[in-house]
Amino acid sequence: MRSVSIIGIEMTNFGRLEKSFKEIAAEACVGAMQDAQVPPKQIEEFVLGNFSSGTLVQQETIAPAISNSIGLPRIPATKVEGACASGGIALRYGYQMVANGLRDFVLVAGLEKMTAVSTPKATETLIEAEDREIEGRTGLTFPGFFALVTNRYSQRFGTTREEIAQVSVKNRRYGAKNPKAQFRKEVTIDDVINSRLIADPLRLLDCCAISDGAAAAVLCPTEIARKFSKEPVEVIGISQVTGRGAAFEYEDLTGFDSTKLAAEQAMRMARVSTKDIDVLELHDCFTIAEIVASEDLGFFTKGTGAKALQEGQTEIGGKIPINPSGGLLSKGHPIGATGIGQVYEVVQQLRGSAENQVSDAEIGMAHNFGATGTVCVVSILKR
Amino acid sequence: MAVSYWRERDRYYRILGSKCQNCSAEFFPPLYRCRKCGSDKLSDHEMPQEGQILAYTLLRDPMTGFEDHDPMPIALIELNNGVRIVAQLADTPIDQITVGSKVRAVFRRVRVNGPNGQIFYGYKFAIKNEKVNLTR
Repeated sequence: MRSVSIIGIEMTNFGRLEKSFKEIAAEACVGAMQDAQVPPKQIEEFVLGNFSSGTLVQQETIAPAISNSIGLPRIPATKVEGACASGGIALRYGYQMVANGLRDFVLVAGLEKMTAVSTPKATETLIEAEDREIEGRTGLTFPGFFALVTNRYSQRFGTTREEIAQVSVKNRRYGAKNPKAQFRKEVTIDDVINSRLIADPLRLLDCCAISDGAAAAVLCPTEIARKFSKEPVEVIGISQVTGRGAAFEYEDLTGFDSTKLAAEQAMRMARVSTKDIDVLELHDCFTIAEIVASEDLGFFTKGTGAKALQEGQTEIGGKIPINPSGGLLSKGHPIGATGIGQVYEVVQQLRGSAENQVSDAEIGMAHNFGATGTVCVVSILKR
Repeated sequence: MAVSYWRERDRYYRILGSKCQNCSAEFFPPLYRCRKCGSDKLSDHEMPQEGQILAYTLLRDPMTGFEDHDPMPIALIELNNGVRIVAQLADTPIDQITVGSKVRAVFRRVRVNGPNGQIFYGYKFAIKNEKVNLTR
């Protein structure tokens, strides 16, 4: 196995973009190739993470459609899908190709264009990532699923509504400084707990938004990375785990075994432990998801994530800075793009060019969580 | 959708799952290989129709086809055999829903005007009320 590095990366603004899916994808892909200073003819393969282009923009066979539009004809162009973890999966497939010596230069990207359909249609499309046959049929939505998680978690650990709201307050404070984020306005605890109810007890400001966006990265063997980039970032660990496809499959909804296992495997591969991680981009699709995952990833013991948050342990300067980019709650969540978007934020941190910089960050982690924990990808990057 | 719904009707009408002939583990929805012991000897098995609420939420602005119920109560239920199921709650004032409430399955209209204009029926659950029998 060869060591693999990211030599170029780009992310579009996230939000309601007045651009077509091809324009959005092209902005990220062309930007990543420029950042890497790799000419298109050198790219040997293209892997695209995307959730539901067929429904959301009426375009299937979307990877070749994009590949052809960005000057990469003929090379294999393949879409991979795992709901909100589609971007992370794309990174992992690209990683494997380079690590195994099959390819030297692979472009990986994530894309979703969600605002071309109505919000109810987007919500309905999203639940197709759940066990549609049984649980999707009941009318359960993703806010509903995470509301059940919140309900179970609060029962078990006595966590209060205000404590959970603090996730949104922290992330929106960081997001206010991220020029690519969808929401750049700080919010207070009162704003969160008085916002519109979505699925009790979760409210609007507990939930990430429906967004458009794309992100892309160029991978190559580490041994030649410095010929292209002054600041390559090495992928030292990456793991993808299949978890459970619906709420009813969990013995206990207060944790997700796919996150736990993916983190363990990625850290073992990278030969690091949680104390070596300087910065973490975590899949905060809902406020409760950040508390739960901060425990599942191994940074805090089960039931103490909310307390750690209140103590500032997940802020810059704390034990583990979580989502200094603003996370999904601020940035928005273009489903297929999010995984690579998180990697973009970690790379900015490791290059020392992030808006909310963690001083001297050397090792970063990205946690990309799909559906009900059905897919989880954890990546560890090192400068 | 109509054809697939018809194919799955036993699940939705009778909560038909599987039982492993080797280790007796029960599952819903049906499985094709036992998740506990790996055996492929599974038979159809109806789930018990009673259980209790483990967690619940009230969905606001429900999806297309569910607009009749706003808010729409939905719960994670543990059936009396330990199998879990997510279902809408019916026949129950929302202020009476609590974790730990005993519930029983009822047969109800689940979704109106699906993608092809059909009406889908199936299980929901109602909180058991000792004084008034809501189902019969």
